[in-house]
Amino acid sequence: MDKRTLLVAEGIDKRFGITHAVNNVSLEIAAGEIRGLIGENGSGKSTFCQMLCGIYSIGEGTFTLDGEKLHIRNQVDANNAGISIIVQEMGTLSGLTVAENIYLGHEEPFMHMGVKDTRAMNREAQQILDSYGFGRIKAGTMIDHYNFEDRKLVEIVKATYMKPKILVIDETTTALSQNGRLELYKIMDAIRADGRTVIFISHDLGEVLAHTDTVSVLRDGEFIGTVNSSEVTEDDLKRLMVGREIGTAYYRTDYGQPITGEAVLSVEDVTVPGELNDISFVLHKGEILGFGGLSECGMHEVGKAIFGASWDREGKVKLADGTEINDIPTAISHSIAYASKDRDNESIILNESIRNNIVLPSLNDLASHGLLNGRKLNRFADEQAKNMQTKMQNVGQFVSDLSGGNKQKVVLARWLGKGSDILVLDSPTRGIDVKVKQAIYALMAELREQGKAIIMISEEIPELLGMADRIFIMKDGRINGEFTRSPELGEEDLIAKMV
Amino acid sequence: MSTIIQKLKGTKVHGYVLLLAMLLFFYGVFKILTPGNFGSPANLYSYLQSSIIYSVGGCGLYFIVVMGLFDFAVGANIVLSSIVGVLLSQHFGYIGFIVGCLGCGTLIGFLIGTLYNQLNVPSMIVTVGLMLILECVAVIVAGGVKQTLAPGLRFFSGAPGNIILAGLAFVLMYFILNFTKIGTYCNAIGSNEFTAKNMGINVKKYKLIGFMLLHFFVGIMAILTVSYGTTMTALTGMSTMARNFQPLMGTFFGVAFRKYGIPISAIVIGEFIISIIFNGFVALGAPTTIQNVVTGAALLAIVALTARGARGSVVK
Repeated sequence: MDKRTLLVAEGIDKRFGITHAVNNVSLEIAAGEIRGLIGENGSGKSTFCQMLCGIYSIGEGTFTLDGEKLHIRNQVDANNAGISIIVQEMGTLSGLTVAENIYLGHEEPFMHMGVKDTRAMNREAQQILDSYGFGRIKAGTMIDHYNFEDRKLVEIVKATYMKPKILVIDETTTALSQNGRLELYKIMDAIRADGRTVIFISHDLGEVLAHTDTVSVLRDGEFIGTVNSSEVTEDDLKRLMVGREIGTAYYRTDYGQPITGEAVLSVEDVTVPGELNDISFVLHKGEILGFGGLSECGMHEVGKAIFGASWDREGKVKLADGTEINDIPTAISHSIAYASKDRDNESIILNESIRNNIVLPSLNDLASHGLLNGRKLNRFADEQAKNMQTKMQNVGQFVSDLSGGNKQKVVLARWLGKGSDILVLDSPTRGIDVKVKQAIYALMAELREQGKAIIMISEEIPELLGMADRIFIMKDGRINGEFTRSPELGEEDLIAKMV
Repeated sequence: MSTIIQKLKGTKVHGYVLLLAMLLFFYGVFKILTPGNFGSPANLYSYLQSSIIYSVGGCGLYFIVVMGLFDFAVGANIVLSSIVGVLLSQHFGYIGFIVGCLGCGTLIGFLIGTLYNQLNVPSMIVTVGLMLILECVAVIVAGGVKQTLAPGLRFFSGAPGNIILAGLAFVLMYFILNFTKIGTYCNAIGSNEFTAKNMGINVKKYKLIGFMLLHFFVGIMAILTVSYGTTMTALTGMSTMARNFQPLMGTFFGVAFRKYGIPISAIVIGEFIISIIFNGFVALGAPTTIQNVVTGAALLAIVALTARGARGSVVK
């Protein structure tokens, strides 16, 4: 490995109001290195990188790249300095073509006296896409015609075609299928082989260890240290992240407990055109029912279909008392809760307070004679948020200020406050650090003990094996395999039914 | 056959087929209902000439509507720019007329854009305020009397003058959308302003450019409007408000058909369709209120059938 220092961060510091997001972080990264950057939600890793990439202004401190002090005001400045980022959520813009997205802010090579050579831009963008093996994506086509994953691939091209000295990959792999991930890993390896650097942020510690050379750890905004990936285990990393032993009680440890015979929800011949084909199953009281499969297998649609959120659903979703669930208001009023995989867009209202997010489905219960009492709402929200140990200033704080894990706590607090008995949790620990994950798993086990029924849709096989009483593996919109909880059950058993 | 249809889905051809099908449908309906006094080639030519005036305004509005902004001062600016143009034409002929309309229009666009950026309040509020002010300014500038364009300066009142000028406006619009950064940046700002800002786009600057371009096109519309009608009267009390909506209907078509890559054609053909509906009702002898109700309903039906979001999707 080339040991030449490429990036030096000195005393990087950032505050958001009273939150000290990044606290005097100093570190160095070498050229030709893939550096993992890990930490709990709210540890400051994304903020640190977003300052490097010009998304946030730098509070205090300096970044020096290749011996030159950086003065970055926005992403274009960062790109020009040789720094690119791929973000967790959607980073492409609708209403623009693929080529316009790739060159947004960098149109100059195609401008001649203020006139844009659109044909040349499309031609060059297509050549780049072809060189990445993404030839099926057409440069001149509107980006809106492509799905989330293809748009992510366009974003990867956008971030890397200029051969940046440093590429930051911020929790991107959770949005990609296995194939998409492999493409990304290949690009990371190519960047390293070229003597350039990758900063790789992920909560999947196995993935971090497998694809990085070194790992830096942040905790509560402070730099904890850097370790060689080949010399540590996942448990070592967890210890560094959390500051204590995580212990063995990560997943459930009980086996052989029979599922109660009391059905709470039955799904009969449910079909959603293009997504689900003739799905039937029964959910029991006190059961965690897992759904797994490859990204596009249809499992995420199962949650929506049960919650009444699929408008073109066929078949029946019925409660034990025979009530049919065909729309969201009926689902909520009959004690069904749903947490979407797309947390920021479908589960929470980002530009609203924690309080308003929590009380939303419970307003009818909290109103007296149709009138709401602000103090009562505050009390209710505060109690639910504190039960979930949400890290916050107070319930008036906007959800957009919270980390991913704390946003998920707000979602869960909302539904637990509502007293929901059937919880449909799609990717409940997506983008969440180990400490919060552990808390969510403990909560799920506790809810199960209380007799609540949980449908857990997950792309993480260990999570399914560790938490579910029964597991359905889906393929091409159908249930392709059913497994009962057992210590003998292994990842390979589930994978065999996925592919 | 089904493979060909699948291949054409979402393409420009698909968009044109939809637009032409609508055009033929409404033409057919009124031609059947009033075969005698609707839809002869001469009639159609006349409908086209009136609709292209609104199409020009629709093109201008497109720049700000795609950014999620709105402008209620379009009508007031048409009136004021027309009056300024006519007054200047009395001293400088065609040059005074054209420069007066375009200059006044663009200047007001600059004023609206600057105020919007500086005050940091929604565009609707800024433009409603300015509409009231501009109406009063127009009355003062006109001296309270009707302004008439001199007979020797009416080249743009009919073909080929109006067609040439509107055609130039459409070419300019096509050029700006496809061969400058402005079109791309307006779309980017409308899609996600925060991301656009992070891409180094000077959002305020491009919003200002958007308003200036809108009102430059409004200036062209003023030339065509006062040439077509030969006179312009300044009125107060929000009476210019009605002038905002006809160009806006074309913009709706443009925004709806943006996904097919034919916003300008959609604006022009869309305005022509609206004109056919209006004139069809006139031919039927329907009262104005009924005309407005059915035209509004037809617009809703057209946009709903061609451009509505997928069922279950969020539409704002």
